[in-house]
Amino acid sequence: MSAAPASPGPSTPAAPPEGREPVFHVRGLTKVYGTGEASVTALAGVDLDFFEGELIVLLGASGSGKSTLLNNLGGLDAPTGGSLSYRGWNLGEADEESLTRYRRDRVGFVFQFYNLIPSLTARENVALITEIARDPMPPEEALHLVGLGNRIDHFPAQMSGGEQQRVAIARAIAKRPEVLLCDEPTGALDVHTGITVLEALEHINRELGALTVVITHNAIIAGMSDRVFTLSDGRIVNVRANATRAAVSSLEW
Amino acid sequence: MTPLDRKLFRDLWGLKSQALAVASVMACGLAMMIMARSLILSIETARDNYYRDYRFAQVFAQLKRAPMPLREELAKIPGIGTVQTSIAMMVTLDLPDMAEPAMGLIQSLPEHGELQLNRVHLRRGRMLVGPAGHDELLVSEAFAEAHGLQPGDRIAAILYGRKQTFRIAGIVLSPEYVYEALPGVALPDNRSFGVFWMPYKELATATELYGAFNKVELTLAPGASARAVIAAVDRLLEPYGGRGAYARQDHYSHMRLNDEIRTLTVLSIGFPLVFLSVAAFMVSSVMNRQITMQRGQIAVLKACGFSNRQVGWHYLKFALVIVVVGAGLGVLGGIVLGHRLVDMYHVFFRFPALHFLLDSRVVAIATGLSALAAIAGVWGSVRAAVRLPPAQAMRPEPPASYRPSFLERTAFGRRFPASLRMALRNIERRPLRALLTSVALALATGILVVPNAINDGIDYVLNFQWDLIQRHTVMLSLNEPGPPRALADLRSLPGVVRAEPFRAAAVEFRNGSRTRLINVVGLPSDATLDRVLDSRSRRIALPPHGLVISAKLGEVLGVKPGDPLVMRVLEGRRPQLVVPVAEFCDDFAGVTAYLDMAALNRALGEGDRISGAYLTVADGQWREFLRKIKETPKTRSVVIKAAMRASFRQSTEQLIGVIRMIYLVFATVVAFGIVYNSTRIALSESQRELATLRVIGFTQGEVGAVLADELVLLTLAALPVGLLLGSVFAAGIVTSINTEFVRLPLVFTAANYAYAVMVVALASLLSVVLACRYLNRLDLVGVLKAAE
Repeated sequence: MSAAPASPGPSTPAAPPEGREPVFHVRGLTKVYGTGEASVTALAGVDLDFFEGELIVLLGASGSGKSTLLNNLGGLDAPTGGSLSYRGWNLGEADEESLTRYRRDRVGFVFQFYNLIPSLTARENVALITEIARDPMPPEEALHLVGLGNRIDHFPAQMSGGEQQRVAIARAIAKRPEVLLCDEPTGALDVHTGITVLEALEHINRELGALTVVITHNAIIAGMSDRVFTLSDGRIVNVRANATRAAVSSLEW
Repeated sequence: MTPLDRKLFRDLWGLKSQALAVASVMACGLAMMIMARSLILSIETARDNYYRDYRFAQVFAQLKRAPMPLREELAKIPGIGTVQTSIAMMVTLDLPDMAEPAMGLIQSLPEHGELQLNRVHLRRGRMLVGPAGHDELLVSEAFAEAHGLQPGDRIAAILYGRKQTFRIAGIVLSPEYVYEALPGVALPDNRSFGVFWMPYKELATATELYGAFNKVELTLAPGASARAVIAAVDRLLEPYGGRGAYARQDHYSHMRLNDEIRTLTVLSIGFPLVFLSVAAFMVSSVMNRQITMQRGQIAVLKACGFSNRQVGWHYLKFALVIVVVGAGLGVLGGIVLGHRLVDMYHVFFRFPALHFLLDSRVVAIATGLSALAAIAGVWGSVRAAVRLPPAQAMRPEPPASYRPSFLERTAFGRRFPASLRMALRNIERRPLRALLTSVALALATGILVVPNAINDGIDYVLNFQWDLIQRHTVMLSLNEPGPPRALADLRSLPGVVRAEPFRAAAVEFRNGSRTRLINVVGLPSDATLDRVLDSRSRRIALPPHGLVISAKLGEVLGVKPGDPLVMRVLEGRRPQLVVPVAEFCDDFAGVTAYLDMAALNRALGEGDRISGAYLTVADGQWREFLRKIKETPKTRSVVIKAAMRASFRQSTEQLIGVIRMIYLVFATVVAFGIVYNSTRIALSESQRELATLRVIGFTQGEVGAVLADELVLLTLAALPVGLLLGSVFAAGIVTSINTEFVRLPLVFTAANYAYAVMVVALASLLSVVLACRYLNRLDLVGVLKAAE
């Protein structure tokens, strides 16, 4: 259980983070699914460093390896080769129990299809996590942060897609994660709803200072980030830093 | 309550009908097990208390007549505790509510003090104490109830040819007659046989046995060997016409009681085990489906940091809640049914107190076993689910690949309607699911076969006994073996159409250390009114020499056809002979031994004698016939087949009927549960495809047809397997009911199979209707949108 590093102090979102310790330090990361002729290479040698407080966007077509990379960062999937460390801790070779601990204490996930538990209300979906987290905020507070203070006792089926996604975000942030990983959070939403969701993410990134990684295939969203990584065929083909983060409300697609 | 537990209960609520189906199946199994085991405990406890408190003897002997002083000799035998001697006499009773005579066994009460052994328990009225109580007697409760007799009522008996009237002082029970029936008669008839007690002096005077006894009961000193004591008693009693002493385990009432316990034991294991395995199978299939459907949720829980253990425990709790509900219902059902049956057992077995006692050890074991079975059933899918890396679990399962089914590729398959083609493809694409559904349907069919097989076996035995073997209307035994002209006297009774003599003698068969006391029956070679049949109802002709014995008796004595058997006759000149076993007959009720009548008479060495006769009596002269034999002093017993049958219907059949009903209802519930559950699972798995069909323009009926066709195909495949499976289950259970009192044959009737097929077909139909209703209410878009 002590394999994961100690929690760092609060930090402010930084300008280009040169010369600091990265949160994620990744070198030559590969992931191959299956074996023999049927094998599929999802990641073919990825190098990157993500720093505290950054808002990162991973761009790429479907099948480019974005989700696989995100899952490896979040400890949902184990890499086939290369090194992957989180604050100096070798995440790539951690056992199941430490990975569970890592996900429970440090990582918040947001998925494209929200993945709420349908039989639990908004509050209960969030409370599910706050029950097991180390230093959670009250579920109500998390829901307020994403602007859902008035939908606390609704079931997922009674909410719109945007609302469900914001519940999912509240669930992810209620544990005060050090890392917030979002896989196509607006993928299933219309523009207007997508904007409200992104605003929520932006707001949380500023408020909590968590390293936030957002996967999208929508290049316009990249404008709101500190840095943009473009993936293709399991490799990073381009890295771009934004001088300033664009306001989410100014994004249009 | 944690959010995860809340999820558990809401998910269960969503699954309520299925969960309830599983819980009911489990409840049926548990209820049956708890009912039977608790009955066993109740009966055993009542028996042990009764035997102890009322000092039930350990060794018994009947003899012709011995002088009182012999009692002192008996008491000197080493190893004997208490000796009690008395008189027991068979009498004919004349009852106002019966046209035919009834039989009474009158026993004497000691002249001084109380009974030392086999004490009677007073139910109503008062006891007969001391020299008082002239013309008074005590009557057994079973007989009193059958005739509505009350203390103070009068009853007429023919004692030694003299009709006397007695007043009933009290109604009593005796540990000797917990099961009150004429020894050797397979079924009790409390209307035509009862036990009575009266003071020694009166009985002895009336039967010309004053100063003598003809019955001995005794207990053993601690550590004494029953065998040695029996041998010593036999030696002492032999000159006085001793019929062979026997130990408690050969006592008729005791044996019958133990047999019932043995049968209950069989039923408490076989049936419930089948049910509980089915329940475990159902839990496992429901949970498999649930876990498959919640793949995504499991992944999210894991992504959020729940450990494998927490997730696994969450799903195991699903199964455990079902077990708890099932166990609760089962225990409740077992208690309710047990109470009901304990009350009914009163008809069979008479105890001063027979209270329902819940066998809590069995409750704990059975519940634990169910929980273990459920956990074992769920374990695999839970493990598979938690082991799946979350990232993989969140991805929807890859789309299924379809191709024309095997049957369609054949020439005539092209003519199938679209729904049938789709159903065939569904089956072929998911063979495992189809297999599991078929297995479930086969189990449902199989379970239904068992109770009816038992019923049919019992019916067969009754018909075999009453219609095939016994073709007479009356069996009449004489007080003493009579000369051949006694048959002529019987033939001349009013209405007698045919009379065939029989000779019977109490004998002890011995093979090495194995012995049995039994009446050997001699029949004339051309007998038609009481026949010896083999298990296929073919008549066995009695060979001029050699015994035909029940196969069960052969098993008990350890002999086979061709083996010699020592036959010690216990009456008359008491010869001892070695007789070969000629043949076995596979009878079902009791054990019997037959010998050619002439051969038996030769063996007995008393010349040509008869013990009684089987008679057929013309309907028109029935009353006249009965009136006449009531007055015949030489009659020892009259067994009327029709009365026996009627009495059986009123008492035993009611109890058997209730038990039959319980098993059949349970089996039907289980069958419905399985079928419904399987349909729900099939529906849940193909919900998306069926919704797609609706969206692209299929009508509700057409979509329903796809579901129905699939289930019909699977049912058709399952039925023959199920009938076979059921026959195997039934064979296992029925053949284990194998006692000296009753053995059940394996009988499978078309009606049995038809019932099983009908219930499963009906359950399938109902399940399809329910599933279609559910489909019609379905939010089509919602289903299609949901990522499975």
